[in-house]
Order: sequence, then structure tokens, then C-alpha cells
Amino acid sequence: MSSKVCKNCGSTAIDVDHARGNAVCMSCGSVLDDNIIVSEVEFVETGGGGSLAVGQFVSSEAKQNINTLGHQLQMSQHCLDTAFNFYKMALNKRLTNGHRSSHVIAACLYLVCRTEGTPHMLLDLSDVLQVNVYVLGKVFLHLAKELCINAPAIDPCLYIPRFAQMLEFGEKNHDVSMTAMRLVQRMKRDWMHTGRRPSGLCGAALLVSAHMHDFCRTVKEVVNVVKVCESTLRKRLTEFEDTPTSKLTVEEFMRIDLDDECDPPSYTAGLKKTKTQQLEKQLMEKMPDVEDEIKGYQDEIDAELESLRPKLKGVYAAYVNRDLSSEDIRSVLSQQDDNQSDEDEELRAVARHFDKDLDTLTVEALIKLEQKTPEEENECGMKIPERVGPSLASILGTMPSAATLGLPETINKCTGEERENDGAADSGELDLSGIDDSEIELYLLSESEIKIKTALWMAENSDYLKEQKEKEAKIAKEKELGIYKEKKPKSSGKKRSQIRASTADEAIGKMLEQKKISTKINYDVLKDLNIRPSASPARKAESVKSESSAKLTRRSTKPAQTPTGLSVPLSTLGKRLQPFISRQPNKKQAVESPQDSLCNPLPAPAAAPASGGVVVESGPVVYNDVADEEEDEEEDTCVSAMDLLGGNDYGFDGDDDDGF
Amino acid sequence: MDSSNDEAVDIIITNVVATFRTRCHLNLRTIALEGINVIYKPEVGKVLMKLRKPRITASIWSSGKIICTGATSEDEAKLGARRLARCLQKLGFKVRFSAFKVVNVLAVCSMPFSIHLVDFTKNNRPIASYEPELHPAATYRIKNIKATVQVFSTGSLTITGPNVQNVATAVEQVYPLLFECRKPLCK
Repeated sequence: MSSKVCKNCGSTAIDVDHARGNAVCMSCGSVLDDNIIVSEVEFVETGGGGSLAVGQFVSSEAKQNINTLGHQLQMSQHCLDTAFNFYKMALNKRLTNGHRSSHVIAACLYLVCRTEGTPHMLLDLSDVLQVNVYVLGKVFLHLAKELCINAPAIDPCLYIPRFAQMLEFGEKNHDVSMTAMRLVQRMKRDWMHTGRRPSGLCGAALLVSAHMHDFCRTVKEVVNVVKVCESTLRKRLTEFEDTPTSKLTVEEFMRIDLDDECDPPSYTAGLKKTKTQQLEKQLMEKMPDVEDEIKGYQDEIDAELESLRPKLKGVYAAYVNRDLSSEDIRSVLSQQDDNQSDEDEELRAVARHFDKDLDTLTVEALIKLEQKTPEEENECGMKIPERVGPSLASILGTMPSAATLGLPETINKCTGEERENDGAADSGELDLSGIDDSEIELYLLSESEIKIKTALWMAENSDYLKEQKEKEAKIAKEKELGIYKEKKPKSSGKKRSQIRASTADEAIGKMLEQKKISTKINYDVLKDLNIRPSASPARKAESVKSESSAKLTRRSTKPAQTPTGLSVPLSTLGKRLQPFISRQPNKKQAVESPQDSLCNPLPAPAAAPASGGVVVESGPVVYNDVADEEEDEEEDTCVSAMDLLGGNDYGFDGDDDDGF
Repeated sequence: MDSSNDEAVDIIITNVVATFRTRCHLNLRTIALEGINVIYKPEVGKVLMKLRKPRITASIWSSGKIICTGATSEDEAKLGARRLARCLQKLGFKVRFSAFKVVNVLAVCSMPFSIHLVDFTKNNRPIASYEPELHPAATYRIKNIKATVQVFSTGSLTITGPNVQNVATAVEQVYPLLFECRKPLCK
């Protein structure tokens, strides 16, 4: 169903020629539809008397969508036709179910791009559609699988001319492109391209080649064109830097091609990790040797400290002596450190601190020291074996972790082995073998704890609980009032089927039947309304009155006031014919055929006598405001029919009348 | 298991997901208030309970359906599930342990060579698919055993399947195909 507006000039004068299958705009002459015949679905009688639907199931709308999207991406007509074919195939295989039509169309287009090798990225399509690229990707993959179309893999070289164009290299465009292509090929051989977005590689290659040709393109400019993140681009550049090719000069690069191939960058990163881990292991193995050395030094330190201690007590007097003693220590330890005095102070502090424990000063103690005051005591431990190997900190650092590793195992042992698993029958009985009840009880809180937790939980979730209470209160209230609808948020009122009728009379009849309005309505009178609006007296008034008041109390949700005239061709209004008969029953006034007077605000229904006699009016007929209302209306003011009709938003010009 | 390889390739199971039913309605609020290590999500309508010993996380619904994730072997999953049921029993619900089923197993594996994904995909159309714009790995779906293998260019694989046996079979199936498109690592 195409709208009757020309896309090029906007005029509404469109001539649809079913014989030729054309739809042509009368003002500008452009052809809007050119295969209506084929795209309509016809019904044909089969032999046994049944009917068969024949024709294309693809609506012209879909084809238009494809074309629009394709033009936005500057795709050739040939591609668009192929895309259309894909779409038809997809329809036949019912692949469009479950996906939005726009997604399916985009997927078909992208499929064509891939098979033809055009430089369009999935990202472009998702940009145009404002859809998540992964969602589109899913649809695309699904489509490709079902249609058994093998889309060839993307080559980053395809994108280079396109991006180079956007970066505006002017005359040197070709040179830059060629260099960039060489770079990309080199990257491919260096295994940088597997698993990466081709656009990122292109971006890096173009950046480098631009610089090689003395164009200063910043990272930001490239990022805008290529649509990757800055950090991605930088990462690609660093990876490329790691390859041996990066060491070549510009001229060399153009001439030579190195034979070696590199490993993928993620692999090298992983390798580094394993290497460091191996190193650590080796260091751990060397630990015992180091430990012995440490012990030796410790013993020496201890001995010296013991001998020095008496001197220490005379601090002030022996200030000079202290330096001498420190030198002794130094000679004993034969170190060559910088901050000697500090160190000795610390040693002494250590000694003082562990006065009693000097004998038992072992590596474990040192570790504890380390953990307690990492900086101060570390110095002592660290400086000693410095020349032996890497800093003790790292070695000692790993040791606590080894210790902590042992802990879970011990816990496991304590709690006992529970590895047996006889296949418990599926009878629903819980096989308790191997389940330690006491341990499970650890998972449950005690009484007092429960109380505390309840209080806490209630406090935290007070908002949510409030909401729940309010909801329940509302429901209870409504139940009392008898209005309560089950599952209110789900249903949005009764769904009405569309009224399809060829004439207004039928439509009215159907509508009234549907709405189960009073059987007392004299339909004939209503029909009369259509034929001769102003002439026929509106005899329906008495019936209308009663029906309006009696039946239409239901105030189910209706769409906004729809201005309708009973004679308005319903095909144009469709299901908007929700008669305002029901909306405000007693206020509404049936409007006669809108000759000229529809647009004019109707006079207040002053003319209508409250007794509900026959209303004779020259203008549109209005339902009476009946005195014997059975319901109280909120509004007591008289509302003009124009308002009832929906006011000014109903642009019902006389021109569009079909001339009833 | 690895009869086709010369060197052993380690398949490490990282996650086993299992479901079971307790055949009785569970009051989530009670569980939330009386259990340790529980997270209550009233918006979604479930309680997350984490066990320490077989390190698992269980999602408990009020209908009595429970999904158990995080185990590293099928047996562990079953043990954890039984533990959980016992725990719920202690809370006072009449649980019955029924319909235990391992639903998903996730394993990782590493090949000693790197793989050229484009060639691999070309050789194995349509079973394998590779979209660098979407995901860095090539996906190889084996229909008859319902396993999916994701192949990365560094040679690592992640395999998901309905049980451990299928996962092992999948690796065996895929290995020769990968071997063809390999590229020996130079460093």
C-alpha cells in the first residue's frame, strides 16, 4: 500500500494504471511503482474449487526500502537487484520471521556487499539503521547459513581506497594507497590481521603511509574515518612496531620484503607471561641455596650484634664507637651499600625488637617481619643477599603465596573427603551420602542472626516493599469496587478487529453490531442520514438518546477523539471509527454528513429540547444532551461539537470529499 | 582421548552448568533471610546462593527450579547440587532431588601451533564461520554432537557442549582440520 504522495515533488496527484501496472505522478511525471500487477497477490481458483494465492509476496514497500538503503550507501543497481533476489529467497524460506524487516533487508544488502566485494562494512549499515552491529551480525549470519551462501572473507585491502579517499590525499592518493596496501600485506604476513577488525588495520596502515609521504594526518582524523577507537589504533601501531619490518626505512620498505613471518601478537603476549612464570619457578628452585646464604649472614649478624650490645647501651658515650662498630659489621658482612648508618640503625632496631628471638630468627620470621612492616625490616633482609641474585623481596614475595596455597588444601583435608558419588536414582530422594551435615549447617544462620538480617534486609529494601504494599492495596480496593481487571498492565483494552466495508452503511452496521449498542436503534434512520443529510429529519433522536445513555457506560480506553462523520468513507479512516458515540455518550452528537458545516463549530446543542423529541436541525444533527442521564458526567459544560470532533487537528478539507 | 595426537593436548574444563528441580515451591524470602552467601534479586525473582566447597553459584527460583554453575567437573556439579538441596532441606522446605541434568560444559584447550583462520574457514564452509568484524574467533559448529568450537588464531580453542564426552569428541574431530591450516610458531 503506497501512500498517495509523490516522493519527488510531493504532489498527491498520482495516477495508478492497473492495466499497465504503473503508478505515475501527474505533476512531475516520475514513475513510482512499475510492477503493481506482479506485486499484487491475486487469488486464483484451483481445480477442486479452492482458491490459491498467486503472485509475489514481497511488497513493493520492501523493495523500496532496499533501494533507499542501497542508495544511501551508494550501491549500484546491480547490487540492489541481487539484494532483492536474496530477500525473495529469504521470504520463501520463511527466514524473515522473528527478525525485524529492516534488519533482514540490511542483512541482504550486506550479503551482496560481501559477495561482490564492495568496500562496505557492517558498521556502515548499522550506522544508517542505528542498530547494534552485533544484532545485525546475528541476522546476517543466520541468513548466510540458511541460504547456504558462502560470503568470502573480508580483505582489508578492499577498504583502503575508500578510506584514502575520505582522508583526502589529493594527487598523491594513489601512492599513499599503494604504500598502505603493501603495509597491509606485510601485516598479513606478520599475522597481525587474523581476528582483528580489518578497519583497524587499514587505519594503522594509512596513518603510517600518510606519514611516509609527508602528510600529517593525526590519529583523530584517521579514527573519524575508519571508525575504530584511538586505543585500538595505537595498539596496532605498537604491534607493527614490534615487527622487524618497522625497522626498515621508507625506501627499503618499498624495495625489500622480509621473509620472516612473525607470530600473532596475542601469542607473543601469552609467551611473555609463560616466560615470566617460568622464571619465577626457577627462582623458587634456587631458593634453598639462597636461604642457606641468608641463614649464614643472619648468624653472623646475630653474633656481631651480641658482641656489640654492651656497647650499644652506652648510647651517648659510645656515639663515636658506634660508627666504628658499624664498620666492623660492614667488614663482616662485606657489603657495599650506600646508606650504612640507616641500615645499622635498622639492624639494631631489629635486634632490639627480636631480642629474645634472635636465635629463632629464620626465614619465616623474616617473612613475618616483611609482612608487618614492609619497608623498615625489609631493608635488612633485602640488602643482604643482594649480590646473590634478584631482590629477596621478589623471592620472599612469592613465598607467602606458596604458603597461602597450602591453606586451602589443609582446609580440605580438615573437612574430610567427600568425593564419592554413586548415581543417585532419580526418584526424587536426596542421596545424603557424602554430604556433611555439620558443614551444611554452616551455611545457615542462627536465630539471632536471622533476626538481625531480617531487620537489615527490610531496611534496605523498604522502597521495594512499599511499592508492593501499595500495589496490593490498590488491587484490594479495586476488587471492592468491582472494577478490578486481572492483569491490568498486560491487556490494553479490548482489541478491535478492523472494520472492512465497502460502503459507509456497511461499516456503520458492522461497527454497531460489534459494539453491541442498543438493538433499539433504527438502522434505517441512520442510513438515511447518509443519503440526504440536511433534508431528512433526524428521527433517530429518541432511539439515539436512549441508546446513548443506556448502553455506552463503558469507558474502556479509546483512542483520542476521532472526528468522524458517519458518511465519511471508512476506508480512509479504518479502525479509527471509534465512534465518539461511546466516548462521551450523552454529550456527543452524531454528526451528519459533513457538507460544509463540519468545520464550523457547531452551535451548542441548545436547540435540542431536553425531552428528546425529534430534533430538526439545519446543520449537522447532534445527539441530545439527555436530562435523564443515568450516569454523572465529569464535564457538565456543554462542549461544542467541534471539540468533540477533535478540534483542529482533523484536517478534513472539503477538497478531499468524495462528494457524497 | 587424544589418540590422534602425538603430543598430549590438555583439555581443561572450566565450567559445568547443571539444572535440577526440587519439586516443591520455595519461598525465596526465607532463603534470602536465613542463608549465608545469598543474594536476593526480587526484580528478577530469584536468589543466588554461592557454595564454597565445590565452588558453585546456584540460581534458585521460587518454582523449585535451580541452575547450578561454576563447577569444574560433572561430578562436582552433582555434588554441589545435592549439597544445595540438603541446605534447602534444612531451611524447612520439602525438597526432593529430581531431574538433575548437566546442560552445558565449557572447556578450553591450546594447540601448539597457530592457525590460519581464513584458510580454515575456506576449507570448512558452511560449518565454520568467521566474521572478524564481529568476533575474533572462527566458530565451528558440529551438528551431530551439538558442540561449538571457537578457534582463535593463536591456537587456543574454547569448546562448549552438552557433556564432557562430547567436548572431547569435538576436539578430536576438529584437530585434523586445524592441523592442516597450521602455522608453526617460530619463537
